[in-house]
Amino acid sequence: MTRLDRRTFLAATGAGLATTLLTLPGCRSAVEQASAGPAGGPTHGGRIAAGILTDLVPANFFTNSSLGVTTVVGLAFESLIRYPNDTVEPTPRLATSWELAEDGLALTLELRRGVLFHNGREFTSADVESSIRAYADPRWNGQLRRTAAAITFFDTSEPYRVTLGFEHPLGNVFDLLDTVPVVDAGSLEQLATGEAFVGTGPFKVTSWEPGTAITFDRHEGYWVPERPYADGVDVRVITDATSLLSSLRSGQIQLANGLSYLDLDNLPSDAFEVLTAEGAEQQLYVGTDVTAGSLADVRLRRAIAYAVDRQRVVDEVLRGGGYPINLPWPRYSSAFDEARNERYARDVAAARALVAELGEIETIPYTYPVGNPLVEATAAIVQADLAEVGITVELDPIDQAQFTKRLIGAELEGIWTTFHSWAQYTPSTLTVSAYPFNAAKNASNYRSEEYAEHADAAWRIPDGAGPEAVEAYGEVSEDLLEALFLIELAVVLPRYGISRRLSGVDWTKRNEILLTDAYLGGG
Amino acid sequence: MGRYLLRRLPSALLVLLASSVAIFGLLRLVPGDPATTLAGADAPPEAVAAIRAELGLDRPLGTQYVTWLGDVLTGDLGRSYLIGGQIADLVRSGLVNTLVLTAAALLLAVAGSLVTSLLWARVERGPLDSLLTSVNTLALALPTFVTGVALVLVLGIVLRVLPTGGTPPAGFARDPDIAVQYLLMPAVCLALPASAALTRFLTEALRTELAAPYVTTARAAGVRSSRLLVAHALPAALPTYLTVLGLQAGGLLGGAVLVEAIFSWPGLGQLAAQAIDRRDYPVVQVLLLLSVAVFVVVQLTTDVVHAWLDPRVRIGGLT
Repeated sequence: MTRLDRRTFLAATGAGLATTLLTLPGCRSAVEQASAGPAGGPTHGGRIAAGILTDLVPANFFTNSSLGVTTVVGLAFESLIRYPNDTVEPTPRLATSWELAEDGLALTLELRRGVLFHNGREFTSADVESSIRAYADPRWNGQLRRTAAAITFFDTSEPYRVTLGFEHPLGNVFDLLDTVPVVDAGSLEQLATGEAFVGTGPFKVTSWEPGTAITFDRHEGYWVPERPYADGVDVRVITDATSLLSSLRSGQIQLANGLSYLDLDNLPSDAFEVLTAEGAEQQLYVGTDVTAGSLADVRLRRAIAYAVDRQRVVDEVLRGGGYPINLPWPRYSSAFDEARNERYARDVAAARALVAELGEIETIPYTYPVGNPLVEATAAIVQADLAEVGITVELDPIDQAQFTKRLIGAELEGIWTTFHSWAQYTPSTLTVSAYPFNAAKNASNYRSEEYAEHADAAWRIPDGAGPEAVEAYGEVSEDLLEALFLIELAVVLPRYGISRRLSGVDWTKRNEILLTDAYLGGG
Repeated sequence: MGRYLLRRLPSALLVLLASSVAIFGLLRLVPGDPATTLAGADAPPEAVAAIRAELGLDRPLGTQYVTWLGDVLTGDLGRSYLIGGQIADLVRSGLVNTLVLTAAALLLAVAGSLVTSLLWARVERGPLDSLLTSVNTLALALPTFVTGVALVLVLGIVLRVLPTGGTPPAGFARDPDIAVQYLLMPAVCLALPASAALTRFLTEALRTELAAPYVTTARAAGVRSSRLLVAHALPAALPTYLTVLGLQAGGLLGGAVLVEAIFSWPGLGQLAAQAIDRRDYPVVQVLLLLSVAVFVVVQLTTDVVHAWLDPRVRIGGLT
């Protein structure tokens, strides 16, 4: 056999490596290209690179159901008013001022002049009407559709003033005005198919490759002077959480939306910052089917409420990114009440006593959607807590599509865990908009005329933040605590991982990222 | 030959038609449906009903099937409501990305195995040979999700010399130097086990050839050892190599699904996973039908080649 000695072999290998190393410096670096940006303080220029876990679904444009949708709405669209993150007091956006009629049946809005859509057309009162009417269309499935549908009259005779007439007083009308993105009426059909996204926001969508990337360029005609800072935003859809983390850590992206709380916890703090989106709360809960076996007895639901260790869920699952709750309201909500919120503080003895009263309890199916580590870990904790007080549950993990179908169809027998939202808004919005709380039909099969009356009455109080409304929310809260068809566990605060090279990132109450004031610096 | 092909064609079309019925029907048996997925957990039933009507899911199944098949036959694959965009564009884009990745991996596997085998075949049994055997076995045994994550960690995060995932922002043709860097890690990850398998086969084949009497004669006649290896042993070993290469190429396409997930590479595997997850019936239907069509074409081609080589099959219509 022809012999190759060790020296020749090593020399050949070394030559190969040396050639590779000598060739590399001659090439441009893809990593540097992806993370390039100007250095220093707030300055114009550069492109921000972001990564999101779930892509845009155009048909879901008026919902905040995917990170793709919230990203597009946050960057390319604007609403009439905007709530600060910790209150529900409207501040001007495309509407500069407003006046509510004394009877609460009409609202007149003065509109900002000189606002241009991305196609160069000027924003007028007609766009307000078309946007709200589109939102009210069932095909778009906007969560505040009932509120939008209660607006029955539009006076758009003047281009910069619009008057909205209501079927009845709407205590949460400003929630709607904060939520509805103003869209260009002429491109609504293309919006539904993902062919055009024409808004008035600081960035315009220049391309969308489904499942791959969304590209935004600066809107040169944006009405805020000197904004946005960045020339554009390149958003990559990275459907694997580990890959999303790798992209952030490698510097390929400067902002990651959709990382697990554990991964965020482990990001090196010298190079990365974790932003906690206060004001964009979601709620993690245990739902119950009140018609299923022993769960029909409210004592069992109370036993579950006493048994679950909410603080453990917050500490171990949410890594401190939230706090325990008995009611859906976040701490700044006008419906929040400290005493009520501790009604079912963990009390193993009380839970055991209730279980003892009930006698034999059948094994309860416990359904949850797989793929979300927060929900999976919570289910394990709840199962252990319930076993401790003598309630046996059988875990029933199913995929998200199947879970959603059974939830909407009220076909989940037993208990389940998932998230809901909308409690961060005017409290009446929750009971008229979030399906799990819907008094007419909900996933728990819970019916109560009293609850329905209280929810409806709270909704119809013109001043949604006034003392009358707060009293009405108290009644709704009592209904929720007494019936316990939903057992709240914790407020969950969304979190983003960002590179320290990126500053000025903000968000809305719907977890929409805002990069109007964001810029690339040193770090 | 033409008559033989005509005889085989109806059964192939029948397979495609039966598959389309099976694909359409089986998908409807999977729990969950596009309307509820699109509507989300906050949606009341009336909103789901409105979306169902919008998507045409409230029509009888037979009508839905006939409409879909008619559209597909006329070249209209339809629109994806849950992923977004024209299905033809989605499939085309995914197919290009998957083919580019697979082709790059195949190229690396072939180049890697040829170079390594030509060097290794000259190594005598001993410590160096044992070391090469161990490294080769390791490359063959390591799952792609381990090598993928290790590559990302070392080259993407610690050394920061290569992007951790995604496709080149400007496409493959505009900035080739950038595109190569995006391709390198996923292609290496995909190519590694295939290259190791090819190396193993080729090295053994080369050694067998080098031990053959004609090589001994050539060596005695003064032919240089490098020429012996490249000009004599290699051509003789190539048929075995090509057979294994053919098998590995199919494996690479299948393996690409996992690598696409690790490196966020938007290929057909990613598209299929996304479509199944969202119950995007039209997209899943097209992808499954496409895979059946590819299988049918390959089968038909094999049959035709078989008939061409064996007149008994051609005359008797046997396969």
